[in-house]
Amino acid sequence: MKGRSYLVSMLAGLLAGIFFVAMTPTVSQAVTKISFWHAMSGRRLPAVERIVNGFNAAHPDIKVEAQFMGKYKEVIAKTIAAVKAGKPPHIAQVYEVGFQTMYDSGAIIPVYKLFKPGEVDFGDVVWPIRDYYSVKGKLYSMPFNSSTAMLYYNKDLFRKAGLDPNRPPTTYKDLERIGKKLVESGVVPYGFSTGWPSWIFEQAHAYHNQYYANHQNGRKGRSTKVYFNKPFGVKYAKTMTRFSNEKVYIFGGREYSANKSFLAQQIAMLIQSTSSVGSIEKAAKGKFELGTTFLPRFEGYPRGNSVIGGATLWVLKGHSKKENAAVKEFLKWIIKPEVTMQWHKDTGYFPVTNSAVKRLLDEGWFSKHPNHLTAFLQILSGVKTPMSQGVRLGNFVEIRNIVQTALEKCFAGTAPPKAALDEAAKKANRVLKEYTELYK
Amino acid sequence: MGYSKRFTIFAHIALIGSILIIAFPVIFALIVSTHTFQESFAFPPPFHIGGNIVHNYVAAWNRVDMGRLLFNSSFISVAVSIGKIGLSMLAAFAFTYFGDFRGKYFFFILILITHMLPLPIRIVPTFELMDDFHWINSYYALTIPFFASATGMLLFRQFFLTVPDDLCDAARMDGAGPMKFFWKILVPLSKTNMMALFLIEFIYMWNQYLWPLIVTNTNDMRVVQIGIKMLLAGEEQAAEWNVIMAGTITAMIPPLIILLLMQSSLVKGFVMRQEK
Amino acid sequence: MGSRFPNKILPYVIVAPSVVIVVIFLIVPSIESVYLSLFSVSPFGNKLIFKGFANFITLFRDMEYLNSLSRSLVFTSFIVFVGLAVSLGLAVLANLKLRGAGIYRTALIWPYALSPAVAGTIWALLCDPATGVAVYLVKLITGHTYNWMTSGNLALAIVTLAATWRMLGYNVIFFLAGLQSIPRELLEAAAIDGASPFRRFWKVTFPLLSPITFFLFVMNSLYGFFEVFGLIDVMTQGGPGKATNILVYKLYEDGFVNFRTGFASAQSIVLFVFVAILTIIQFRFAGRRVFYR
Repeated sequence: MKGRSYLVSMLAGLLAGIFFVAMTPTVSQAVTKISFWHAMSGRRLPAVERIVNGFNAAHPDIKVEAQFMGKYKEVIAKTIAAVKAGKPPHIAQVYEVGFQTMYDSGAIIPVYKLFKPGEVDFGDVVWPIRDYYSVKGKLYSMPFNSSTAMLYYNKDLFRKAGLDPNRPPTTYKDLERIGKKLVESGVVPYGFSTGWPSWIFEQAHAYHNQYYANHQNGRKGRSTKVYFNKPFGVKYAKTMTRFSNEKVYIFGGREYSANKSFLAQQIAMLIQSTSSVGSIEKAAKGKFELGTTFLPRFEGYPRGNSVIGGATLWVLKGHSKKENAAVKEFLKWIIKPEVTMQWHKDTGYFPVTNSAVKRLLDEGWFSKHPNHLTAFLQILSGVKTPMSQGVRLGNFVEIRNIVQTALEKCFAGTAPPKAALDEAAKKANRVLKEYTELYK
Repeated sequence: MGYSKRFTIFAHIALIGSILIIAFPVIFALIVSTHTFQESFAFPPPFHIGGNIVHNYVAAWNRVDMGRLLFNSSFISVAVSIGKIGLSMLAAFAFTYFGDFRGKYFFFILILITHMLPLPIRIVPTFELMDDFHWINSYYALTIPFFASATGMLLFRQFFLTVPDDLCDAARMDGAGPMKFFWKILVPLSKTNMMALFLIEFIYMWNQYLWPLIVTNTNDMRVVQIGIKMLLAGEEQAAEWNVIMAGTITAMIPPLIILLLMQSSLVKGFVMRQEK
Repeated sequence: MGSRFPNKILPYVIVAPSVVIVVIFLIVPSIESVYLSLFSVSPFGNKLIFKGFANFITLFRDMEYLNSLSRSLVFTSFIVFVGLAVSLGLAVLANLKLRGAGIYRTALIWPYALSPAVAGTIWALLCDPATGVAVYLVKLITGHTYNWMTSGNLALAIVTLAATWRMLGYNVIFFLAGLQSIPRELLEAAAIDGASPFRRFWKVTFPLLSPITFFLFVMNSLYGFFEVFGLIDVMTQGGPGKATNILVYKLYEDGFVNFRTGFASAQSIVLFVFVAILTIIQFRFAGRRVFYR
């Protein structure tokens, strides 16, 4: 029975390990520990660590502990669970669709309340970002990683297909023509793909100045009805479904999985969050020439603006004064020009303050990295309208998921676009109804 | 009983073929885990061993703090296995050696009901219960709710029923009390069953995913399975399959070792039960 | 069976730990599930509205839930029927008296050690739409590329295959144990009567295996309903278009992502009905002889 004695010794080893861990002395309590839950993975993770390490080094009495919690939807789920358990983190990074949930939670300290008036100049925050996260002009959560969507394309593949690499598509018509050309010339099996399909769908609404839901997208009172099954939404879904049938478009999965096909040069264009610009640039280097441009438009619609995506930092209640003070220090740190500039350079997320933008301009960063500028120009050249300031829905997490499913059904051909969106709208309205009932 | 030569050859080929097909996914995962990122998304895919093995395993190890995860998974798997063996043996002992004490059948059914209540059925309230106990993100939440085992209790009960009465009588003649009998006679006799149960429960716990996913929320309390999810969630640009596979392979090694070491006890434990 | 130790207190003491655990962590939460299923609960749990049976009514009117139900049934049936048939075949082969049979057995049972999440991750790699080896092989053979991220039925097929694959080892272990406990004399007697090997299998081996088969039927069903969560979560997260959104995944999403606690609890109750039916069948037909996770 050699196996058994082996096992016994293994168990003994394990038990010894347990005691070892249990006996490890705890760190001295003089340091204020701040838990910061986030969803930044891949190449963004070191960028977050850079910020946190820089902060910790400059503040020996505070230790910010950054915890990667998984995807956005998992961070908010975990945060809610932790609040219920009475052990909330100090700071949680929550994506834009979680805004209403956090706002209604009763578990947060609005950022404007955390700081004394004048302590931080929120006016310095780039306006579309500030607008998005403000209620009645008051900022609720700290802008951290804001992005929007833009179009990435592969100039080399354009050349191969006999297309002008400096004339990327600007309209959906162009997109179709160019996509077809790319596919027909055999350069790629599919023309383009997108990340975050339902977010891009939301983007399209804002970009063409269309409401996504009633009560001014939920910014004037709680939304009770979604509008995404109106003619514009249906047009979008129909167009994309047609593209999909023509192989101009291929559904690339949720979130960031389409990036892979773009990098493997299986598609020539990608509509994706600007926050991928850092990693795409790096990965494309030496393989193909990358171009970026504004989102394509449908002709004949009014101009709106692409909407802010990404996430902000929410401050949770239930901590000591000393800890809240430490949280304040950290939030001040992340909007320091140097920090936000570095964050932008590492990831492609917007530098969130005007002063950081100015310094990046002065440094000549944008002229060296024009792809980092594209989205910025897109968002600052847009029109400020209620349609493009961002959508606020109760349980938006679920609604986005519902829309996602509807779009997937369209592309898979299992439901006609109009029917799929109508069904989704019905579900979304039910979700809204349930939500408003709870928060009457 | 000999087989014809043709049949023997056929059987060998069929077995080897099936084994290769079954093993292929893991072999391919192993191959990918040795390549660089660029090679891993080459098309056609690589079919040979690459040279980036150390880098990938180190990267996976560091990215999700694999050492800690392996420790956590091992700890909860061992703790739950031992807890289940202990509790179910004691319960089985009570049910077989103490006659019809009052409430016996009620308790018996109560423990059997465990089998009818898989975690997902009671997941929301059990989670809230962890909240109430302040057990979220602790080893308690990962272990104690799993301690009851209908299957273990039945296994030991069946085994105890086959233990010859003479042994019990002899022990009593020697003046041994019930617990002494339990420790000195029943426990040593149950070794094969204990090992079989240990193996099954270890693998069961090691592979738990849903419960650790919802009750843990910091790096230091996560288990290996969630580590894989974390590696996958890092799908920011392209999935780094080379690193993900390195992590995946690492996660499957410990239960595999336990299985290979203890597989004979498993078959023996169950063959014995079959005969009754 | 008589009392062998006349002790009045000890049996209660030693059965207590199990009973306490069962009551606190299983019985009470299950009852609470029933209670919660009658309410609508806010995400942060601070508001509770009584809804009666509204959650159940919504559930059975919800096309998505019905879709989830039918997908689960397809998924689980495949795991059970195809998985068991293949496993039995493999076990019979591995049970032959061949040179190297021990090695063959080990080589067949090891996938049992893989977790559903590990299995899912590996299959996601194989089937990666852009670079997966399965996609490559299919293209080599048929000239077509398939994208399971857009094709719901294809995704369901892949997920099902992965889940079935992962269970083969487990099934083979138990079938082998069953085969080895069949008295050799019976088979030899049948052989002397002139029964062909095939006939011997059907007339002698298979009926004797039925308790094990039945046990595996139940275990595989439970696996298909509950344990595969990790596999779905790493591979498809229920998509595309909810094509792989099996019941346990939907339950998780509604309970822990969408925070519809009451609605999720109602789903729990429906799942309980399934398990109860399975358990009753098990006790009715298989007796208590074989009963194991």
